[in-house]
Amino acid sequence: MHDKLMAELMPPDSGRCNYFFLYDGSKVTGEGDPTREGICYFYPEETPLDRQELLCSQFAGVGRCVSELSSSPVRTLRLRHNKFAIRMKDDFLWALGCSVEVPTVSVCELLDQLINLFCFYNGSVRQSYQLNSQETLAARWARYLSYLQSGSSEMCHIFSCLKTIDSTNVDPLLLLKAALILQACQRCPLVLAGCILFRGRVVSTQMSPELTMKVMVHESETYTKGQRINGPSTSSSFDGAVSSTTVFLTMSELQYLQAAPVDKDFSSHSTPSKNAPPKKTRLSRTLSDTPSTESEPSYPSSSQSPQKASLSPHLSESDTSVSSPTPSQSTADSLNPSPQWLRPPLSNGKHSHEAEEEALDQSYYHSFHNNGDGGSQIHSEGDSSVFGENSHLNGDAACGTVFDFRGTDSENERSHEDKMVAGDSRGCCGTDQGPKAEMKDPSHLPSVFDNLEESPFIGMTLYMHRVKGLVLALLVEPHFLSDAASMEEVYHSSLASLNGLEAHLRTISPGAPGAPGPYMFAHFDCIQSTLTTNLSGRPGGAPEHPFVRATSLLHSHFCNTETLQEAIIRSASAAVYGTRSVAQETYFQQHGGSLRNSGIPNHQDSAFSLPSKARHRLLKHGVNLL
Amino acid sequence: MKCLLIASESAEVLFHWTDLEFQQNIQEQYGASQEEGQGLPAFEDMISTQFAPIIISSSTLVDRQGDSYTSFTTESNHVYVLHQFDECLYIAVNGDGEEKEDDLRRKIYVMKKMIEVLFGMVTLSGALLKRELRPQDTEQRARLWKHLQSLLETYSHLRENDQSFLVEAVERLIHPTLCEQCIEFLERRLVQQLNSSVERAGEEVLHAFILVHTKLLAFYSSRNASTLTTSDLLALIIMAQNMYPSNVDLDDPSPEDVESTSGSGPESFYTPEPSPTDRDSSDSEKPVRGSTPVFEFVDPDVQMAEDSLQTLEVSPPDPSAPRRVFLEVSLKDGLYPMMPHSMYCLPLWPGISLVLLTKVRGRQHSNISTSAVAMSVYKFLEAFAKLEKRLNEGQGSAAARGQLTIHDVRGKLDRFIKALGQSEIQSAHLQQVWTDFKNQAFTKSGSGFTRDLIPWCKKMKTQLCGVYRQCFLTDSGSSDSPRRLSPALQERAQTMVQDKLLDWKDFLLVKSKRNITMVSYLEDFPGLVHFICVDRSTGQMIAPSLSITERTTSELGKGPVAQYIKSKVWAMVNTTRRYLQKGYSTVTLRDGDFYFCYFLWFENETGYKLEAGDIPVLPDDSAPIGMLAWDYYKKLLRYYSKNHQGEAVKCYELLTIHLGVIPTDIILQHCRQLATKLWEPSRNPLL
Repeated sequence: MHDKLMAELMPPDSGRCNYFFLYDGSKVTGEGDPTREGICYFYPEETPLDRQELLCSQFAGVGRCVSELSSSPVRTLRLRHNKFAIRMKDDFLWALGCSVEVPTVSVCELLDQLINLFCFYNGSVRQSYQLNSQETLAARWARYLSYLQSGSSEMCHIFSCLKTIDSTNVDPLLLLKAALILQACQRCPLVLAGCILFRGRVVSTQMSPELTMKVMVHESETYTKGQRINGPSTSSSFDGAVSSTTVFLTMSELQYLQAAPVDKDFSSHSTPSKNAPPKKTRLSRTLSDTPSTESEPSYPSSSQSPQKASLSPHLSESDTSVSSPTPSQSTADSLNPSPQWLRPPLSNGKHSHEAEEEALDQSYYHSFHNNGDGGSQIHSEGDSSVFGENSHLNGDAACGTVFDFRGTDSENERSHEDKMVAGDSRGCCGTDQGPKAEMKDPSHLPSVFDNLEESPFIGMTLYMHRVKGLVLALLVEPHFLSDAASMEEVYHSSLASLNGLEAHLRTISPGAPGAPGPYMFAHFDCIQSTLTTNLSGRPGGAPEHPFVRATSLLHSHFCNTETLQEAIIRSASAAVYGTRSVAQETYFQQHGGSLRNSGIPNHQDSAFSLPSKARHRLLKHGVNLL
Repeated sequence: MKCLLIASESAEVLFHWTDLEFQQNIQEQYGASQEEGQGLPAFEDMISTQFAPIIISSSTLVDRQGDSYTSFTTESNHVYVLHQFDECLYIAVNGDGEEKEDDLRRKIYVMKKMIEVLFGMVTLSGALLKRELRPQDTEQRARLWKHLQSLLETYSHLRENDQSFLVEAVERLIHPTLCEQCIEFLERRLVQQLNSSVERAGEEVLHAFILVHTKLLAFYSSRNASTLTTSDLLALIIMAQNMYPSNVDLDDPSPEDVESTSGSGPESFYTPEPSPTDRDSSDSEKPVRGSTPVFEFVDPDVQMAEDSLQTLEVSPPDPSAPRRVFLEVSLKDGLYPMMPHSMYCLPLWPGISLVLLTKVRGRQHSNISTSAVAMSVYKFLEAFAKLEKRLNEGQGSAAARGQLTIHDVRGKLDRFIKALGQSEIQSAHLQQVWTDFKNQAFTKSGSGFTRDLIPWCKKMKTQLCGVYRQCFLTDSGSSDSPRRLSPALQERAQTMVQDKLLDWKDFLLVKSKRNITMVSYLEDFPGLVHFICVDRSTGQMIAPSLSITERTTSELGKGPVAQYIKSKVWAMVNTTRRYLQKGYSTVTLRDGDFYFCYFLWFENETGYKLEAGDIPVLPDDSAPIGMLAWDYYKKLLRYYSKNHQGEAVKCYELLTIHLGVIPTDIILQHCRQLATKLWEPSRNPLL
């Protein structure tokens, strides 16, 4: 099993990216400063130094010139043999280069993912470079890059997707069990959200795909390096199965996580009273399509009152200070980002269509920020407590209580809290359009804008409990680790379930790969960032390459043209059909469809029967195109 | 927010064109870094400074990395496209979202094409071309750049509004009897008379055609002339439109206009061909006619530096002087690009012009004909270019092959230079450089056939181009016996054609706006919104008119729907080109409320549809697909014909737009019918 997992994580020869570097222009200001001083990291590391210097200095110079001419930073830079995604921030320049075959949107996305990943584990880039040596951070860049490149088939060059377990092979009850474990953990108020991974693949997650992917990077690290405790607190009392590390969330990520109406018990001993109707809680994102209602009954439905009571003392005890590596005093402003929401692009380059949802978000985020204003004092901590063990996010007080559409200000924090809480049950029930709507909220997804603007990073902790190949990963408040009671609760409440789950999952045979069939397809779920395909995934597989190339072209086209719904493209040897909606993109090719006629319009051409064939054949893969 | 710039490797600006927005942007940025009290320098210096880092970085990358920039984009969706042609770097910028990367690259290639048409083989020598594009004399430079800028603007305007220039194929007015009559007239009456007249000063009319706006009414080529390529024809149409722009808002000529159109056309601001008195290729050139400069209207709100205002002065051209153009000629022994011709563009009425292309006659006292000179120069240039390439590739068999090439031409070049020596053409430099080259290459003391010989190859090329330039770009010889059709003869030609077409004039103008209309197709093809069909072997297209102006209407009416359809058609053509570039010859798209189809197929001469073949896949930064800047389809046909030896293969494209609610079966049936019926010869039953 260990070997199988290792094999999965081994990066193949054909990586997604040909070049990556981070260049710090502030280190090379004088004429005599050698360029190499500014090279923070360069991949491939074996590139000769003069070549590294050439690329860095040229890109930096051209980037500066173009951004001055256009009063806007460079986004992409193309050479004849490579295309680069560029990000420029302060004096930093990131460049990620792929072959010209990869769609430009995918290259840009990969770079953004890489930067976000770095910020997730290290916080602000500028701060990180002030606090750590270049070598240390270079090693981290290398790790993140190799993770993003690992196991990539050609399809992964186009779509960035989560590695999930094969849900067709798994009993749905197991997935439900995983979801329940997560929900149980989430009842602890110090736990924000989590996910369960098995052998490096997602079983169930409560977080957005982007966040889940970031968490998975650490999981793979700890697996390959053996179990190593990395963080301010150790937990040897748990036989070394538990580890933790510091992570940094952006404001939008945090708000997104806290937007979930979660049933928070203050302690596991509280007996739920049945005064209030059970809230519709948000089901963690499993791979099955089971709607949230099915899991209701097993929940202890808790009322508002104990929660209210529990929250208030909680608040008064709290030391509301935001831990952030940035020592600046601008944090007051930072909690009030302008309501003008920076629209981050959705995964894979799409933009949200729901304008009304946007309005929705803005209204309650506005209220959240107003609340935050009243409720927090932000201290800037010294270096020693940069990982803020005793810090407590002010926003946490409002967790689970964000749905206040009225968005009124209030001077009195507590009364506002009450109002918020009271409004919550109505609000969330009213607005809960089902898991799909919540999952689709694009404005909550962290964009690289957040990471590159000076929005503060909020330090959290990533808690991981490993049971052989199964990992429970939770995003928790930093002082969770020092709160023995909470840790015990979470550990023990989930231990048995985790063991059971692991045992079941371990026994599932991988399942015989089905006969390839006379067709190839790829189905990308935009909401969950999952890719379903019957391609073998071997890089450079000859018969698959034309299909991958066609998919790449069509994908770029779909990203650039919102109104495009379907496309059929045909070369002499093969025809590919692509279709998309807001939630998915699907590509289909039938084997042996070579053109027997001249290419003149012919309704009997097999190309034009592709849409109906696709609809018919993909049903058994769980893809519904009707 | 648009710009096109040509720069040398040392960041010297060889040409620039900017729109007002971009100009102001540059001025602001430059001004921001200036000290107080200093005036702004000349615009070309400002733009050179601003772009210098990019230009220098580009050459650095080429030298050291063997790679070069092709494009940049910014977060604000500004696009920069770069392309290096030999020693000149072309940069095109767009900051207002109206042009994408493909459009900018196309613009660059078209600019290069126009420069080739105007300067011929001089473009093959980097050193000479730089001097041509950037004359020392600032006045002359300003005039030249103004002319080029105007051509570029004409092209951009046509590209955005005319379907011919969208798909890069010529549209013919469809009226079989009239067209036949006109062709006969051109052949039997006009060209014959011209070629037998004594006033033709040795010029021989090879091609004659009548343009109605951008559409062709009749085209005649004399028997011994080679076919005019579509690429050249389109370039000539751009020039004709540039000289006599079709004012679409005034397409109904009022009586007053008729009188004013005899002789020269309205509002021409373009330079005459430079005619210097001495022949040294490096001096500045002055116009023979020293007419008073005319101030062009300048918007007083535009703040410009003093000296740049002066650059707007242009002198009116001599209307009877032909333009020198360099067009491709195919002879038995091969293809000769950029052979010298003279172009006479004679306006008949606003919107209707007669264009004559003549073969350039040799110098009166020379013993070698001009075409021989041009052909020889081309052959020698080719040989040296090939040698240079082989030497670049490395030693071994490549160098040996290079040697063979030069051995072949050695004797011929000796003879050529000897013949030149006896003519008026200055060939002393060429003689010297050739001697030096021979010493380098063939003697033991020289470098032999190694990389060191490359600079000598370049020098030879420059000298050969210099000879070419002397012959064709300068108009040496006494100015009182210019070698062209006399003004009287030109006027007579004009009158002849005017008389012939007088009764048809109004009809022609209307017909050019509504050549084919959708009305005739709606009954047979319900749900069809628009189509374009192109015969890529002849470079002809058929499409219902799609002009959206205040006065003309099509079936789509005016207003937002018509504009929307037009923008969809334009976008569709761009999209299908991208897919064709990657090897996809059939594309169907369901986009919004419409269903788009594109087909490309091959036929033989009898109309039999040949089996589909693989279309080669090209890289993203390859030359744009079309027929104007280069003929992609000719290459495609050649590639396809490898498997079809011995039969002539033709290539067609069809593009259709239907309403999305029509079932795809029906749509495909429509497409099939259109494809088969549209090119039925002469009587088009669907009209």
